[in-house]
Amino acid sequence: MPIATRVRLMQPVLRASDISKSFGAVHALEKARLTVERGEIHALLGANGCGKSTLCKIIAGTVGRDAGEVLIDGEPAALGSPHLAEEQGVALFYQELSLVPQLSVGENIFLGREPHTALGFTDRTAIVRETEALIARVAPVAGKGFVPDARVSDLSPDQRQLAEILKVLARKPKIIIFDEATATLDRRQVEVFFDILRELRADGVSSIFISHRMDEVFAIADRITVMRNGQTVAEFAASETDRYAVVYAMVGETGAIAASVRDHKPLEDTTRLVVEGVKAARLGPVSFTARRGEILGLGGLQGQGQKALLSGLFGAEPFLAGHVSLDGVDVTARRPADVMAHRIAYVSGDRARDSALPGRSIFENTAIASLVRERRHVIPGALFRERFAEVLAGLNTRYAGLDAPIGSLSGGNQQKVFISRWLSPAPGLLLLDDPTKGIDLGTKGDFYLLARKLADEGATVIIYSSEDSELLSLCDRVLVLNGGAVTADLSGDRLTPFELTQASYGDAA
Amino acid sequence: MNRFLELAKNPLVISSAAILALLVIGELVSPGFARGDQIVRLLTVSAILGIAAAGQNLVILGGREGIDLSIGAVISLGAVIAGNVMNGSDAAIPLAFAAACFAGFLIGLVNGLGVTYLRIPPLVMTLGMMGVIQGGLVVLSRGVPSGNAAPALMAFVSRSAFLGVPGILFVWAAIIVLMALVLKRTRFGWSIYAVGSNENAAVLTGLPARRIRVLLYGLAGLFGGFTGVCVIGYTGNSFISVGDQYVLPSVIAVVIGGTSLSGGAGSYTGTALGAIALILLQSVLTTLNLEFWGRQVIFGVTLLLLMLLYGRQARLRV
Repeated sequence: MPIATRVRLMQPVLRASDISKSFGAVHALEKARLTVERGEIHALLGANGCGKSTLCKIIAGTVGRDAGEVLIDGEPAALGSPHLAEEQGVALFYQELSLVPQLSVGENIFLGREPHTALGFTDRTAIVRETEALIARVAPVAGKGFVPDARVSDLSPDQRQLAEILKVLARKPKIIIFDEATATLDRRQVEVFFDILRELRADGVSSIFISHRMDEVFAIADRITVMRNGQTVAEFAASETDRYAVVYAMVGETGAIAASVRDHKPLEDTTRLVVEGVKAARLGPVSFTARRGEILGLGGLQGQGQKALLSGLFGAEPFLAGHVSLDGVDVTARRPADVMAHRIAYVSGDRARDSALPGRSIFENTAIASLVRERRHVIPGALFRERFAEVLAGLNTRYAGLDAPIGSLSGGNQQKVFISRWLSPAPGLLLLDDPTKGIDLGTKGDFYLLARKLADEGATVIIYSSEDSELLSLCDRVLVLNGGAVTADLSGDRLTPFELTQASYGDAA
Repeated sequence: MNRFLELAKNPLVISSAAILALLVIGELVSPGFARGDQIVRLLTVSAILGIAAAGQNLVILGGREGIDLSIGAVISLGAVIAGNVMNGSDAAIPLAFAAACFAGFLIGLVNGLGVTYLRIPPLVMTLGMMGVIQGGLVVLSRGVPSGNAAPALMAFVSRSAFLGVPGILFVWAAIIVLMALVLKRTRFGWSIYAVGSNENAAVLTGLPARRIRVLLYGLAGLFGGFTGVCVIGYTGNSFISVGDQYVLPSVIAVVIGGTSLSGGAGSYTGTALGAIALILLQSVLTTLNLEFWGRQVIFGVTLLLLMLLYGRQARLRV
């Protein structure tokens, strides 16, 4: 073996060090590091928003880094684009599917690097032949109709996920990043997938494996890296650690919660909201109750049905079944207008999609919902101006004037305008869908105080947050959702970072 | 300086300035162009275009690439219906208005339903509707003009009602005031802007976005039918393609007036000024002896230039 090759083999296949990345004022990564050896399966773990996805995207070239170094086989890697990363042997399995629905399985797998015939046409026979060879690897679990010519739009979700995995394998990379690759697979398919990972390992290919299922991690990973708040906090050999240690590393200091607005005075014992057996496409049936003055958190990993629950309660995407009542009145919603009259309010964290009326004035943006709630057909200009100026002032909103366009405000102040829609009169049930996403810390503080004030005045608040710390500092009680079902109900002494993380990951330590 | 720039970017200021400039040019090219009675005549023509553009304006404000290309055919249909209903009789004028507006409204509702519930792109839906109406008119009339305007209608459109001003101008003024009030001071008006600006957000504040959009297309048809009656009042009798000439100008008038083609921003006051500016441009070009096709070229270029001028709107900061 030539010396150069031997030296190369001694290097880890991937060494990312001191990686930093900010999105605006948010530090997604701060000097994160990740080292992956040749031919190992490496699990990357961390709570929601810890930066693991950002780190993977940087390695795969889809996001640029602000600082830090990535070495592949000991050589500095140029990762300016996914294409460049791919040339250096890095492939990313996309959590959001990257398949083109109108094309066939084979066409998708070879998209962008189709084999050509001597005449320069796409070589369909070669595509079909090579796709068949790939499909053979998953044949026992592929299900009916999973053939090279099948259109992706005709496949089931798990078959699409398999196609996605094959697409990555077909590129014969050195390093594969599997971000939530097993999310839609059943147990048998997961087993086959693990067999593929083991084969890859035997061939010297390294896999970075992100999963939210702890048992999978311990079943397959050789080593584990844990991230927290954008930093790498621990590295373990899987055989030398246990779940408790890993969860502990993910959560960090389990003691103090800074700046807590959690209220420890006993709640009135009046049930206000009763949710019975509600179902949506990826939710339920879910039943629970909430009390007057209670701030109820929806916890768990992202995409476990929390958003579906909130938009169902508001009628934005009505439930398929089940009943909801508020103060004994049936408020099962078919559309938002139905429940707005019952003082149910909804604030989304996705301001551009769900809240903003771009190009319209602050006044219109704040007063619009009240017209519907109060069934007014003519706008009471002076009355509303006075009313909403007061509401906005109460939220410490900084704005030039009610007639200024909404776009002239910062994100945090915009969100104050959007929440002000629902504050006069005060809501009885306030639904918050990750409301502080991308908002500065000062405004977040204002938000927590507002939520607590509304609850103290008798409202029931239900909040989903992608940040566990937010739920822990704000909520009286947290329902943990997993796969569309409530799997834990944490309150009092059990509402701790450790319990929340453990319940989110869905299995006992 | 900043304030001056802001003013210079205001569509109302731009269209008013264009109107003044065109009047001056017209007067220079052909003295007497800006005489009182001439201006009244130009305003009358503008009123007909302006009323047609009111419907166009609503549909465009509603967003989702809203546009009504069937408006010309609806105008023709309105004219033909009105002509046949009236057949020269003054007593039938109210019925003529009612029938033409109702027919237009129904056609507009069909457009709206197709766009909203069948998700047919507005361009395709209304273009298809245009073909259907035009074909239908040919079949029904066998290509022979029929029906004619009642004398009182013709007087309403072109003869002085008060101080040398014909009745249609008073009606147009009323429409301008009404549109401004509805758009600025009512929930329906705000709903139009909200739906055009961000439909999803509008739904999440409880607005019935789909119903609103269907109604907007219905109203566009209604204004089209109304315009048809005015057109036959202006020309005396109808022919089955009388409305075609209003399709492109109705869109251009809306754009000159500063309504964003992506919806959610603009005013009818602007559109009314836009209609006047466009008619002035047309007559200046006619005075310069430019033929029909030459004018089409100038219209097209005007539209493109305005899109450039207004097109760069600040995006929402999020």
